[in-house]
Amino acid sequence: MLWMAVLVLCLSMTAGSAQTATLKLEAQLLWGTNDGTSPNPKHKPVGPEIRKKLKELPLKWTNYFEENRKSFDVAEGGANKVSLSDRCEVEVRNLGGNKIEVTHFGKGEKVVKQTQTLPKGELLVLGGNAPNSTAWLVVLKHAE
Amino acid sequence: MENDAHLKLQAFVDGELPEAEARVVASQLARDADAAALIAEMKFTRHALAGHEKAVRVPESRDFYWSKIRRQIEASEVERPAPVAIPWHAKLRRFLAPATAVAVVAIAGLLATQPVGVVGGTETSLSDSGAFTYRDFSSGTTLVWLSYPAEETLDDED
Repeated sequence: MLWMAVLVLCLSMTAGSAQTATLKLEAQLLWGTNDGTSPNPKHKPVGPEIRKKLKELPLKWTNYFEENRKSFDVAEGGANKVSLSDRCEVEVRNLGGNKIEVTHFGKGEKVVKQTQTLPKGELLVLGGNAPNSTAWLVVLKHAE
Repeated sequence: MENDAHLKLQAFVDGELPEAEARVVASQLARDADAAALIAEMKFTRHALAGHEKAVRVPESRDFYWSKIRRQIEASEVERPAPVAIPWHAKLRRFLAPATAVAVVAIAGLLATQPVGVVGGTETSLSDSGAFTYRDFSSGTTLVWLSYPAEETLDDED
C-alpha cells in the first residue's frame, strides 16, 4: 500500500515536471466565408485538420482561408507576442503544465484574455464577425 | 485399597489376568475380606447390567466390523479438502483493489488542485460583453466568439 502511494506520487511529480517544457505553438489567422473561393489570391484553403475541427464548432461558414500563419515557442514563465496582421496580435504566456494565458489585441487594444490548458493537438479559436457575413478567426494550436 | 489393586481385581473378574496372576489374586481373596467383598460387588453389578442391558449384535464379523470403521476413518482423512489454491487473478484483484483506491484518491487530489474555470477549466476575461465561450470536448477545441469588432465599424473601415 505504502509503496503504491509513493509510486503514484512519483508519477504525479514526473508528469508535472514533464510539463515544464517550452511550448511550441502555431497561430493562424483565418477568414471564414460561404463563398467557394477567396477574392484574395494570397489566401489558401485551411488545412484538413483545422477544417475538420472548425466544422464541429457551431459556426455557420462552410469555407475557411488562411491569411497568415506563425509558429513560435514560449518558454515556461515567459510570453511571446506575435502579429498576424496589422490589426490582429496575440500574446501567449506560458504558465506551465500546458496552461496558457492568451491575450488578443485588436488594433493595439486588448480585447480578450483567455486562460486555459492547451494539450498537444487541441485548439483555441478566437473569432468574430467580419463584413459581408464573413468571419475572422485566430486559431492557436499546441503543435505536436 | 489402591486404585491399581482395584483395577487388578476388575481384570480378575473380567478374566483378563494371566493365569499365574489370577491364581495369586484368588489366593489373596481368601485372606482379604475387603477384596472379596469388592469382587462380590463387581460380580453382582456385572450380573445386574448383563441382565438388563439389551445385547446389540452387528451383522458383520468382529474383524470386518472394525475394519469397516477403519476404512471410514481413512476415507474421511483422504476426503479432507485440500487448501484452496487462490487463482492469480484473485491475487491480482486483491492487490489492485487497494492500489486503485490509492490511485483514485491521488488523482482526485490532483484534480482538486486544478483551477476551476468557466468551461473545461478555462477562464475568460473579456472587455467584450457580447462574447461567449464554447467548448467542444470531442475535438478538444475551445471557441471564444467576440462581438468585436462591431460590424458597423468594419463597414466603416471598408
